[in-house]
Amino acid sequence: MLMAMASSRKDKRTRKIFFYLGLAIVLIVSLFPFFIMLMTSLKNSAEAIAQVPTLLPKQWTLEHYVDIFNPVLFPYITYFNNSLIVSLMVAAISVLFSIFGAYALSKLKFFGRSTINSSFYIVYMFSGLLLVVPLFKIISSLNLYDTRTALVITLIVQTLPAAIYMLKSYFDTIPDDLEEAAMMDGLNRIQIIFYIIIPLSISGIISVFVYAFMIAWNDFLFASIFLSSSENFTLPIGLNTLFSTPDYVWGRMMAASIVTALPVVIMYGITERYIKGGATEGGVKG
Amino acid sequence: MKRKPKKKNDNKLAALLLFPSIFLILLLVAYPMVSNLQISFFEQSINPNLDPTFIGFENYKEILTDGVFLRSLGITFLYTFLTVVGSTVVGLAVAILFNRPFKFRKISRSLIIASYVAPSISLVFAWKYMFNNNYGIINYVTVDVLHLFDQAPLWFDRPGSSFVLVVIFAIWRYFPYAFISFLAILQTIDNTLYEAAEIDGASAWEKFKVVTLPAIMPVLIIVVTLRAIWMFYMFEDVYLLTNQVNTLGIYLYETAFAFNDLGKAASISVILFIILFAVIILMRKRVNADGNG
Repeated sequence: MLMAMASSRKDKRTRKIFFYLGLAIVLIVSLFPFFIMLMTSLKNSAEAIAQVPTLLPKQWTLEHYVDIFNPVLFPYITYFNNSLIVSLMVAAISVLFSIFGAYALSKLKFFGRSTINSSFYIVYMFSGLLLVVPLFKIISSLNLYDTRTALVITLIVQTLPAAIYMLKSYFDTIPDDLEEAAMMDGLNRIQIIFYIIIPLSISGIISVFVYAFMIAWNDFLFASIFLSSSENFTLPIGLNTLFSTPDYVWGRMMAASIVTALPVVIMYGITERYIKGGATEGGVKG
Repeated sequence: MKRKPKKKNDNKLAALLLFPSIFLILLLVAYPMVSNLQISFFEQSINPNLDPTFIGFENYKEILTDGVFLRSLGITFLYTFLTVVGSTVVGLAVAILFNRPFKFRKISRSLIIASYVAPSISLVFAWKYMFNNNYGIINYVTVDVLHLFDQAPLWFDRPGSSFVLVVIFAIWRYFPYAFISFLAILQTIDNTLYEAAEIDGASAWEKFKVVTLPAIMPVLIIVVTLRAIWMFYMFEDVYLLTNQVNTLGIYLYETAFAFNDLGKAASISVILFIILFAVIILMRKRVNADGNG
């Protein structure tokens, strides 16, 4: 009896050790590239290309961070601002349109509702890649080639179906009685959206905002097709031009990578408790 | 009292609320789809001053007899298969590992999704540096420390090793999507089901087969379908990492914007549309047959 207890306790301990070992492996594999990014950005240029690579910098330096924010060396700030403007516009407009669309699909009974619902789902599965040829022609004929507007409108369409789908599932959980009571009080549908639906689904709206912001911030494909002059470049295509120059500096590229990844990683870190996984939430297209 | 007029107004209000979304989708998804079909019958360059000429099915003939296309189709199927299976299996395994209370669970979960939400360009820079032929840490460890290879594989310059690299990159980058989806559903499984199976003397594998698998099936189908579709059309990850792996996404992009052949690119898109629809219809049938609607 005693021996059995002792062995089961030992069993539990081995299990625990294996569990933490597994956890450690998963975390190391997931984070190692980020670790390398960070450490290389803090090394001087000679150490970054040493034959025997070092994990930690022998000499810590912040010069690469100073360099990327120096417009003479590299227009990082311009790219950052373009990315920020485009992503904020996409996120804000997507949130607004998807609130309206999701409300209609969730709470209103109308002709063609289920058809619209399922066609949004099909659009969600489409890749922007399949539409590049006609989109390029449409954008050119609208005289929007090489403008940030081209990027904003095409990216909104990329985010809308998932955004509507996510919000609809939030709105579906709001009981109809609440709305009926509000109508008795004399509120119209639009007032109900702003005074009742939105405050009750704030966490859903935040995740839609973060999702749309991320899709826009990370987009490479549309930016590479629609933008041609450096002053309009967003971060992904701007940074990619770093590889075209023969004398690229790894430390500077890693510093740029970190600063570029930070906004979305932090946003997701903060709003993570709202992300529940499942069919569409947090789904990255492309 | 006010209920009757509400029913009447729904059609109009719904149209108004849905108008911006539907308008944009019609303009920038539905119309381009039709336009794709039309462009695919023309010989057309990217230069707007050159008039397109109608050439019927010439573009399609050219593509379907092009060895490059067929090879690319094969590469893409293999890439999709390996990355979908890899990211799903790893994601599920990590979700099972996480499906218990432990310290730092929340923060670990946030850290794991970092690779999934960060932009490709940042991740690709780090990978290009880590796998660099001359001073990358991966070659240093595998060749000089562990002696796994006699010579450093040229990760970015040979089709074979580049293919391995883009597959590993995709599994690393996309397993967190499967992970969050599975973790959410695993947490809803009633623990007594496992206890009952244990009393019946079920092994760990049997418990997984009898309890876990049926419970996660609906999520598994969604995760696999969506991931497969997205990997099939993958462009930027592969494009940014190497020029040695010619997937369909890259074939399409280069036909349009490197070789300026919009007509041919449009017909590639149409062929890919057809493959997409075939897959969706097939999946729908399967899902309905499984009774998971």
